[in-house]
Amino acid sequence: MKTSRRISWIIGVAAILATALAFPGRLPGQTSAAKSSGATSGSPMSVQVDRVDPGDSDLAYSFQVAIYEKLIEELNKTKQFERVLREGDRDAGNVPNLLILKTTVEKYTPGDETRRAVTTVSGATKLTVRSQLFTRDGKIVLERTVNGEVRFFGSNLQATHNLARNIAKAIQQSSSGSEQPSAVLGAQF
Amino acid sequence: MNRLFVRRNHRYPYFYGRALIGLWALWLGFGLGALAQGTALPVNANAPFSTRATHLLGLENTKSNCDGTLSIQGNELQFQQDGKPGAELEITSVRQVFLNEESKQVGGLPMTLGKAAAPYGAGRVVSLFAHKNYDVLTLEYVGVDGGVHGVIFQLSKGQGDLVRNELVARGVSSSSGEDQRTKQSTAEVTHENK
Repeated sequence: MKTSRRISWIIGVAAILATALAFPGRLPGQTSAAKSSGATSGSPMSVQVDRVDPGDSDLAYSFQVAIYEKLIEELNKTKQFERVLREGDRDAGNVPNLLILKTTVEKYTPGDETRRAVTTVSGATKLTVRSQLFTRDGKIVLERTVNGEVRFFGSNLQATHNLARNIAKAIQQSSSGSEQPSAVLGAQF
Repeated sequence: MNRLFVRRNHRYPYFYGRALIGLWALWLGFGLGALAQGTALPVNANAPFSTRATHLLGLENTKSNCDGTLSIQGNELQFQQDGKPGAELEITSVRQVFLNEESKQVGGLPMTLGKAAAPYGAGRVVSLFAHKNYDVLTLEYVGVDGGVHGVIFQLSKGQGDLVRNELVARGVSSSSGEDQRTKQSTAEVTHENK
């Protein structure tokens, strides 16, 4: 009785081990769609941040530059990408799995810090942008409309900081549920 | 009587002579001044220039929102925090310089807290007067790796123009800040009318 129970345990453990060895790479949450995608080669992704396109808005240059710089800072903080490159970086050609982040301003409402301080309810600076992540061959991997605003305290430029943080968060959320952002991003092709 | 008349007669030629000499001297002075100014201009273009500024963002190894001295010397633009080593930027790498104006509340966090704590909405009244206009100077430059970088400085009103002119004199192209100022104010008016 005892020996038969021991044998069944041994066979059970051996079966589990054999299954684990037969399918080494498959994780419980990994979908077949993500696996079949060409962009999910397993190597980590990098991103190149392009300068902000003001679109039809009359966004001040200081705001455009602030969004660009803050985006690079926030994307570095998330640690989702192996490298965060700037527009024009000569290394971009040699970086594998490179995504390109383009930001286009859709709506800009200029605010006034003094009016915010006096009235509290008016004078907010609001920014709405469309963020798109492209592959090198121009396919859109991720597209989000993101807002950034400063309503009560802080200078007008604070809106750019909030916006960049929201864009980085949106990219991070799109890759949540998997250890590699490439798996989720690749599944959206 | 006669003597006096004679003396006066003698004085007139001297007077005209002296006036003529004075006129010539004045002319010579103007000429020399203009000549000196003309020759001094190229020297000033290379002369060191410095002003107080606040670094808002962009410079590597420099804290955001910190005060310091922004100086231009030769081909270098330098920002030095008080008592700390400065960050340098080659002027030849600067592609564009933009200037716009921004109104800000003064006093920082302590003032904001004070205004919030003031009774009967007195803080709001203080806010009405506790603001100041600043020049916001934005530089776009290319790093050693070819990547585009941006730096933003905040300067006292009027100082931004001086820095921009210094940079333009050293070959940096400038975008018309005046256009942007007009555009911005128009946008604000349009927004208010909605």
